[in-house]
Amino acid sequence: MLSRKATIALLASGMFAYAAHAQQQGVTANEILLGEVEPLTGPPALLGIAYNVGTKVAIAEANAAGGVDGRKLRLLTDDDGYVPTRTIQSVRKMIEVDKIFAFTSLSGSGQGLAVLPIVEKAGIPAMPAIGPVTGLYTPPRKSVFVVGQSYEEGMYQLVRHLATSFPGKKWGILTQDDDYGVALRTGFARAQQEFKLNVVSEGEYKKGQQDFSSEMLRVRSAGAEVFMAGGVIGENVAMVKELEKLGSKPVVGMFWPGRVTATLKLMGPASDGIYAVDYVDPDNSATIAAFTERAKKLVSEAEVKAMNRYTLAAYASTKVLIEAMRRCGKNLTWACTITELEKTKNFESGVMGPISFGPGVRFSSQAVRIMKADFATLSFKPVQ
Amino acid sequence: MRSGHFKERTEQLIVLSDSAPVWAWSAVLVVALAAAPYLLNAYLLSFVVLILITATGALGLHLLTGRTGLISLGHVGFLLLGAYAYAVPVAKYGLSPFVGFALAGTAPALVSVLVGIPSLRLKGLYLAITTLAFSFIIAHLVLQMSWLTNGARGIQVPRPEMFGISFDSDIRFAQLCLFVATITLFGVLNIERSRVGRALMAVRDNDIAARTMGINLQAYKLRAFMTSAFVSGIAGALFGIYLSFVTVEGFPFLMSIEALAILIVGGLGSTLGVVFGSIFIVLLPEVGRTALSLLGENAAKLFSTGANELRSVLYGVAIILFLRFEPRGLVGLWGDRKRLWVNWPLRF
Amino acid sequence: MQYLLDQVISGIAVGAIYGLVAMGFALIYKATGLVNFAQGEMSMITAYIAWSIAGTVSGNPWLVVGGALAASVVLGLAIERVVMRPMLGEPVFATVMVTIGLAVVLRSATLLIWDAYPHALDIGAGREIVHIGDTGVRSAQLAVMATLLLALGAFWAFFRYSRIGKAMRAVAADERAAKLMGISAARIHAVAWTASSVIAGIAGVFSALLYDVSPNMFHVGLKSFPATILGGLDSVLGSGFGGVIIGVAENLAAGYLAPSVKEITGFIVIIAMLMIRPFGLFGEREIERV
Repeated sequence: MLSRKATIALLASGMFAYAAHAQQQGVTANEILLGEVEPLTGPPALLGIAYNVGTKVAIAEANAAGGVDGRKLRLLTDDDGYVPTRTIQSVRKMIEVDKIFAFTSLSGSGQGLAVLPIVEKAGIPAMPAIGPVTGLYTPPRKSVFVVGQSYEEGMYQLVRHLATSFPGKKWGILTQDDDYGVALRTGFARAQQEFKLNVVSEGEYKKGQQDFSSEMLRVRSAGAEVFMAGGVIGENVAMVKELEKLGSKPVVGMFWPGRVTATLKLMGPASDGIYAVDYVDPDNSATIAAFTERAKKLVSEAEVKAMNRYTLAAYASTKVLIEAMRRCGKNLTWACTITELEKTKNFESGVMGPISFGPGVRFSSQAVRIMKADFATLSFKPVQ
Repeated sequence: MRSGHFKERTEQLIVLSDSAPVWAWSAVLVVALAAAPYLLNAYLLSFVVLILITATGALGLHLLTGRTGLISLGHVGFLLLGAYAYAVPVAKYGLSPFVGFALAGTAPALVSVLVGIPSLRLKGLYLAITTLAFSFIIAHLVLQMSWLTNGARGIQVPRPEMFGISFDSDIRFAQLCLFVATITLFGVLNIERSRVGRALMAVRDNDIAARTMGINLQAYKLRAFMTSAFVSGIAGALFGIYLSFVTVEGFPFLMSIEALAILIVGGLGSTLGVVFGSIFIVLLPEVGRTALSLLGENAAKLFSTGANELRSVLYGVAIILFLRFEPRGLVGLWGDRKRLWVNWPLRF
Repeated sequence: MQYLLDQVISGIAVGAIYGLVAMGFALIYKATGLVNFAQGEMSMITAYIAWSIAGTVSGNPWLVVGGALAASVVLGLAIERVVMRPMLGEPVFATVMVTIGLAVVLRSATLLIWDAYPHALDIGAGREIVHIGDTGVRSAQLAVMATLLLALGAFWAFFRYSRIGKAMRAVAADERAAKLMGISAARIHAVAWTASSVIAGIAGVFSALLYDVSPNMFHVGLKSFPATILGGLDSVLGSGFGGVIIGVAENLAAGYLAPSVKEITGFIVIIAMLMIRPFGLFGEREIERV
């Protein structure tokens, strides 16, 4: 009975232990196979494709420097269209059929949470960095490492900054009706309590909504002077343009999924002075310019054009993984990689603040920066 | 010599199948499916599981749309309700999975009465729209009642343990799905050959004639609604367990459309067609992926940015072409093959 | 009071877009007995084409609008000829399913040809803010309201006076009798698809002016669907009015209840309406004969 259970457990976990003695799956004498799942089709492809480019840059850089202990890295990419069932299929396929060594992405937050049990059971290292939601690292899973910052903390920091810069104002907030929106509201509620904010308008909208006329009328008639736009890109643009139409000019704060140049272009001059928060470096910083220069040599032109902040998130996260693998040397196993990932201390990726993990710490909790939109240069500049 | 296929008694007409080969092959199929979990790797197995769950859900819709002729565009609402009716008591309040499954069936069935009674006056597309509206309203309520459903955060659902068996492993879970799908298939087949099933068919084919024959339209339509919701709810619960994470986003409107696509691609009104349709729709996206991987590394490079959409285009084109050349569905294709086999060398 | 007025006016502007798309739904249903699930996608494709034209010939709104209209005519004709006509005589279910397949193709083709980023459609007009009393509206919002009125008038005249319009009504009433009278059903279908594509395209361009082009634009189809049901599936003019009613109802619900109910308001309105008049506000009551 026991042996049967054990066999099942082994089969199910996909951990072919007998093979592990010789070599971990996905590692051959001269190659290491990595895999990632993300949306490459449909509207969410916006972040998926950009993320994919980031991983490619990190891998191309490592390969150009001779690979990991003489082994070249190869990336396998699968599209899930942001549909959890397809994420599950892809993750299963990569573990079972392609036998990859580690995941550099597990798609978005909901998708990542859906595959977490599979990844945990298999024990394969995974670095989901597209949607760093709390559920991915609390409770910490042995093999899952998240580089980034939670939406809750980001929102809290943004509100804290605005509350100190603009004391005694009336506040409004509008968020999406999904886990992203819930996270933003949680962070906001924490700040609201701490800074005793006077919130006059609160609301939720359905994902994919286009017209925000009634919501913004509400915000205006409530007299909100600071407004937190909790949309992604199109939604934030529609909100700001609607406020412009109404002749209402509150201080606007928004969030990192929307912190891309396209947002500013679409909003037009009304975007000037909008506050944003992010944990990757601002567009016009020297580090990002250097990164873009390097990337141009390593990936195609179309790919460079597809880059945005998710490229940087992917790049940093993958770089941490590669660094840990490198420290393992010849004896590259999951166990070693996990141990080395755990030892990551103040790692400089070049595109965000120092990254650290630790025993039982599976979340790097990146420091966030408050930025301000500058329409003239179509960029976000840090506020200090 | 028997020169035809004679049916002389009512029992012969309503028997599930009077052909020994059909029974034999069905038995082979069941054995093969039962053995599959032990032979396939986890990746292939996940397709088997997905097909089984999809087929169960589609059978639910089949009772309503295929057999009774009531079009529903809100099927996903029942799946969602079933998933939450399982997830809330089991994952949130730690009740037994039996309670979860019981609620996953009965909660949608009860709600279907609420939807059904007012909408049964409606016919065709207008009914389709009310069900569509209903599925959106359900999703909205689930999001709003966050004290019960965790709202947009979703609920993490563990694999169940019943009869002292843990369904934690993929093999066990596949067997559970196979069990449920088989029971559902037999249930649906048996409903069809009962008085109720024949009444539903009469409602579908000509409701005025059915009424004159003494069939209470309202009662039978409602019954079809409830049974359909019950079966779909169970499928929803299984789907939630498969996803291991239940959120409103995991049940997009697209699933309602896909469920209808399964019925139509399989062959509307045919139970066998539902099974074929489920296999077709679940595997179709994979065909594109496999075709792409056969092209090798260079092709994959081409697909670095937007070109991935080509696969989705092919998915849509496949559906259009299929319906263009085989509007009777897979079951029509299957019938042609069978006839060819039986009548060969004659054409008809 | 000003608040109410603001809500109603912006509701009418949104509703006008719904109304145009809904008229497209009704037109196809009336002529062919089908629900076209690709209506929103058709409007999105035309908007993207308009954006591409605007990118090459900047600053000439008439060229953009003309080009977009021409593109929508071609799109409508092509869909009818290539996709829908071969399905003539096949079961309605299979044919409706084909429009769903078509929707998938158009949606993906948009992302294949263009990209997933939202883009502003800049034709040098439509973004100015006009003040009516104390209410600020964009000129494109005024234009879309005017267009809806124009379309309503045009279709009323079309059905009443033009030969094709009358033929279309005849086909809708009894396809077989119409055929016996020498009306080519296929041609009527082609006209319906083209006209439907054009008004969907117009709605798409306005929606792009107001809310930018983005791969999410096809949602307008699903959102306009309640408008068609409200007005009556077979009533082209009724659907136009239905759109305005839904638009205003949505804004009032979001403005006075909670923003989150906005998206389901349309559905609640139609459920309530279907309980009272199961064939739509302006639809024809079906009489059953044994």
